[in-house]
Amino acid sequence: MNSMSNFRSFFGLLLVAFLFTWVGLVVFPWLELGHLAPIQDEGSTDITPWDSSGTAHAGEHVYAANGCAYCHTQQVRPATSGADIIRGWGTAKDEDGKDVTRRSYPRDYIWQGQVFLGNSRDGADLSNVAQRFPDAAGLYRYLYDPYVLNPHSSMPAYHFLFITQKISGQPSRDALVLPEADAAPAGYEIVPTAQAKSLVAYLLSLKKGYHLKPDEAGIPYVPPSTKS
Amino acid sequence: MATLFPTTVAPRGFVSTDPELAAVDASVRWPVMVCFLTAVHWMVVGTFLLVYASSLTHPQDSFPILGLFIDLSNNFSMFTYGRVWPAAIDALVYGWASTAGLGLAIWLLARTTRAPACAPAALMTAVVFWNLGVAIGLIGIFLGDSTGIELLEFPTYASWVLWLAYALFALWSVATYLGRRPGHDHIAQAWLLVALFAFPWLYGAGSILLSSHPMPGSGVIQELIDAWYVHGIYTLWLAPLGLGLLYYLIPKISGISIRFGSKAKIAFWTWIIFAPWTAVHDLVGGPFPAETVTVGLILSGLIFIPVALIGMSLISTAFTAEDKQGHHGGVVFPFLVLAAVAFVVAGLSEQLLSIRSANELLRFTMFRECNCFLWVYGFFSFVVFGSIYYIVPRLLDFGWRSALLVRIHYYTSLYGILLVIAMLCFGGVMQGNTLENPDAQVTIVTATDVSISFHIAATMCISLIAIGNGIFALHLGWMLIDWLRLRVRGNRLAAEILLEPYEGDAPAKTTKEMAA
Repeated sequence: MNSMSNFRSFFGLLLVAFLFTWVGLVVFPWLELGHLAPIQDEGSTDITPWDSSGTAHAGEHVYAANGCAYCHTQQVRPATSGADIIRGWGTAKDEDGKDVTRRSYPRDYIWQGQVFLGNSRDGADLSNVAQRFPDAAGLYRYLYDPYVLNPHSSMPAYHFLFITQKISGQPSRDALVLPEADAAPAGYEIVPTAQAKSLVAYLLSLKKGYHLKPDEAGIPYVPPSTKS
Repeated sequence: MATLFPTTVAPRGFVSTDPELAAVDASVRWPVMVCFLTAVHWMVVGTFLLVYASSLTHPQDSFPILGLFIDLSNNFSMFTYGRVWPAAIDALVYGWASTAGLGLAIWLLARTTRAPACAPAALMTAVVFWNLGVAIGLIGIFLGDSTGIELLEFPTYASWVLWLAYALFALWSVATYLGRRPGHDHIAQAWLLVALFAFPWLYGAGSILLSSHPMPGSGVIQELIDAWYVHGIYTLWLAPLGLGLLYYLIPKISGISIRFGSKAKIAFWTWIIFAPWTAVHDLVGGPFPAETVTVGLILSGLIFIPVALIGMSLISTAFTAEDKQGHHGGVVFPFLVLAAVAFVVAGLSEQLLSIRSANELLRFTMFRECNCFLWVYGFFSFVVFGSIYYIVPRLLDFGWRSALLVRIHYYTSLYGILLVIAMLCFGGVMQGNTLENPDAQVTIVTATDVSISFHIAATMCISLIAIGNGIFALHLGWMLIDWLRLRVRGNRLAAEILLEPYEGDAPAKTTKEMAA
């Protein structure tokens, strides 16, 4: 770097080296996977996958703010890579009640505002959590106190996502049904806050009971209508 | 042990004997000192948060204080694991490592250009705003504004403060670099330029594409960019900063030139090209293009070339110097040698993850934390410790107060990080073996039961590191108070205050210049 021209060529090479990684790691996959469209069924207006509700999308922020992704993944690796399928994380029932067991594909995530693939499995994979917890009441109870259902859980309790309030008139419909140790004092009930409701709506939207067969290798799928 | 930290009294203060370097040091004294002091403050904050977060990973434990921690985490959203853990890591990466890194970059850039720094007020503004950005970001995480994106958790309003602070610092560094004295090029400068150039690219692209202007529908590309960002921070920001300091300080302190200096250039370029591809370690088996992962694993597998070359030259320089002088050379040197060793170990852990089957086993386990700790605590923190022990006396013309405290700091940090790494590494393998067990009866509960004892051990070892860090912070504070008292009283208490051996400032022969 004796002179400015030497510095320029050094800097130029540096730029090329950085661009090499940026293009290979980000730009190419982006061109390939950044604009995937849902698959449309031939002869109907159904699309796969489908979008989830607005409440569920609001739940993404609760999921992010409370750092669920630091212990939970949302990706199922293929049977050739790891034991995710054996753990049962890739299994969900489709509309006809038949089991769909498969890996995750890029197209599974196109409707999510924010994607949480996660890098740690201190907790279970949540790709198909709605299959294992099909109703909101079970999820509320688990979030309120995981030890009640699973004494080995290392998941923290999320009491702060709930409020204890005095029962006036009829008890609330979504009040928690808890065992004695956790239950609210007589005349009081524990109900989920708006945050808890959207988080649970989000978790209930996590279920991949559909096939994306043409997308097996992650190759962009051409909808049938555009084929000649 | 006696020869590891020989303590002698400095004959004539600590200011560099080279008048040019003394002028340079004087010109950057306050910006660098403010960087170091705030960085040490964030280190204390981050380590405390880390101990707390780590203790929440084994809630069944009935250790008395844990009950309080768990009650806090259950009932207050601020104290839940999912907020404290990212806050701890961000405090360590942005508050501790990066703030200290800015200080080191300022000092090294001024020293290697050998020109007294211009516009110290602008520099000070940048440092103050950087710290402000970190503080706002951490508060944002605690209040629930975290983006949930690894290492980019700071909410957008904090990212902008950080980025603008860095831009101001970058302007200053460009001005300083253009005003450099000719004929004093140093390989450390090349590493420094990489770091200074990489950070705005990484942080700008990461925070714009992921948090301030996220693209709905882009799907898994978000996670790809995040993987590129996280590993970019380790390999293109922290690693080059640390290596720059090692390439500068090791020859300077030992008085001999870097061994295998002719290989420095190839090590440099292979690192820049291969190391960022370690990002694919977070993508194996996931919903990503298979060819990207395969190519990435091959390229990141070649990381052993720069790691071996850099490790060989730095460590063998240290050993040659030891042979010549018969001791390890003062307070500073053991930290720097350990940093060089930690760099090699961190490189080995990346190498391990670039093997597909090992990656499948370790991907989702605590081995990943081991990898993060190796970069941030193992490698970079030791560079910063050694550098602070070296630089601060030269800036203040005042010695460290106690060789015993340095010794305690050294051994607690050394054994703390060794044990943490061992626990997380073995724990990761055990956890991975359970998670990837082909027996369908094995569930996530089995894996949790296996990993919990390693989590308990990790908490204890992190507490050991915390003790060492606390002693270091107290020592720095003690030194500063005594320095202030001396300034007020105005008399020098020669033998009482000088407890660091004086390593000469003879200009070591620099290795071949790096320009292409």
